[in-house]
Amino acid sequence: MTAHLVTRPRDASPSRTAATAPSRRRAAGAFAPLRSLAIAAALLVAAGLVWEGYKALGRAFGDVIPGLNVPFPIATTDAAMPHIAQIVSALASPASVAGGGTLLSYYLVETSVTLRESLYGMLIGAVIGALLAMLLREIPLLGKATLPWLIVSQTIPLVALAPIIVVWIGSAGLPSWIAVTVIAAYLSFFPVTLNTLTGLNAADPLHVEFLRSISASRWRVLVHVRIPTALPSFFTGLRLAATAAVIGAIVGELSAGTGAGIGRAILTAAYYYSLAPANLYAAILVASLAGIVFVQIIVLVEWLTLRKRSS
Amino acid sequence: MTTPAIQLSGVSKEFATSSGTTLALDHIDLEIPSGAFVSLLGPSGCGKSTLLRVIGDLIPPTAGTVAVAGMSAREARRTRQYGMAFQAPGLMDWRTVRRNIELPLQVQGVPRAERRARADEMLELVRLTAFADHRPRQLSGGMQQRVAIARALAMQPRVLLMDEPLGALDEMNREHMQRELLRIWRATGTTIVFVTHSVPEATFLSTEVVVMSPRPGRIAERIAIDLPFPRTDDTRVAPEFYAAESRVRSALHAVLDPYESVTS
Repeated sequence: MTAHLVTRPRDASPSRTAATAPSRRRAAGAFAPLRSLAIAAALLVAAGLVWEGYKALGRAFGDVIPGLNVPFPIATTDAAMPHIAQIVSALASPASVAGGGTLLSYYLVETSVTLRESLYGMLIGAVIGALLAMLLREIPLLGKATLPWLIVSQTIPLVALAPIIVVWIGSAGLPSWIAVTVIAAYLSFFPVTLNTLTGLNAADPLHVEFLRSISASRWRVLVHVRIPTALPSFFTGLRLAATAAVIGAIVGELSAGTGAGIGRAILTAAYYYSLAPANLYAAILVASLAGIVFVQIIVLVEWLTLRKRSS
Repeated sequence: MTTPAIQLSGVSKEFATSSGTTLALDHIDLEIPSGAFVSLLGPSGCGKSTLLRVIGDLIPPTAGTVAVAGMSAREARRTRQYGMAFQAPGLMDWRTVRRNIELPLQVQGVPRAERRARADEMLELVRLTAFADHRPRQLSGGMQQRVAIARALAMQPRVLLMDEPLGALDEMNREHMQRELLRIWRATGTTIVFVTHSVPEATFLSTEVVVMSPRPGRIAERIAIDLPFPRTDDTRVAPEFYAAESRVRSALHAVLDPYESVTS
């Protein structure tokens, strides 16, 4: 042991430097909605360019790869692939249904119906999913017995299940949008359960040991350690649930016989495809963009909830 | 110094391993007086951390009894006599520094206002008042460890169990924290059991060093350190310190077999 002959100042801790660094880091890790939006817009433009480019090539060579005599995988006629301008102008043209607005406003109204069903379905799915994860975590035997059945529940084809749910809800005398919400919830809970369960199990053993050392109950460990640890995973599950809820709602509408919803509008557009092909693409475009906005709202909520944690 | 703070009699701990059972602790008898600062020192695998966890009722002994302030270890943990700090601070990033310190009080059901007041008191004790509203990861390792110690002290425990809490710190911070720890110990009057593998650290901090030998974990020697308090940086260069340190070191070397003292 060498002697410390040089006396050091008493408070030689590197506190100042350590304390000022995070503010810089926080700025770098900030949510950048504008940047995400710009990237999303750029990708949309790129997709449009690919669409139009492919179509132009097909038109120029008569849908046959030159020199090979192999046909293009997808025909580029206006019936199969309308111009983007045609799709956009279809949106701006008056809708054939009563009301007199444009097709865009009609689709937006229908989409709002679908998104409402999706939102309710997702919220129900999130609550059920999170509670189920906690139950499965705290009662291991239940977890072992139930998890395989939960997986089975998700392998049942939706097209088979949706009409059954519609009939059940219908015979209970409830409006058909409730059936659609239930279908959305049914698809939503599973990713939430699975991801939350992973998060609950990922608690830091040090945190658990500390709480044990102060004789904290299991409930306290769940509330103070496991749930906060699981929150990021819960949001990962919620993002997947948001996507699943929108798909569930659209597919649900096809079976539910609701007069409203973008799913229903897509079905109608598909029915009249040969008359107005652009309408189907327009409906799909609106539905996709709405789905993206829906998921991005979840991402925003996630960021607002977790931003203080990761500096 | 009437009833001992901690009394171990015939404590053994066996662990089941793939190659049969390992005896981690073999008939440990130890008495720690109230208000003492006792270090458990020994090479890795001597069972010092196991012994600490047995005292804290985090793992049950295979045989023997542990009494803490006249209670069983289980009872002592139930009635929250322990404060614990480990090698890693183990703070929660979803709580501010202050709320981390409040956690044990929250678990105990202390009302919000009182909780906050006590946390502020602890923050003052570890001199981190200015960082109350920071997140743990915004603090340096040494500061995080001080928060962990403040958290362990928040319930005003009778016994503070520390498992190499300064092990991850650099030399400067480590010595600074040793002084802080002694200051806190003297201010609170808590009994401290401190696991370390550093001879100078054990010598500087303790009223008694318990040297343990490995395979199976046994108490090899108990060395009283009668250096006067307050101990300062001058203590580290005093001839009495060297004498005490040498005694601890030779006791430690006696428990290491020749191969191990070369490799470790």
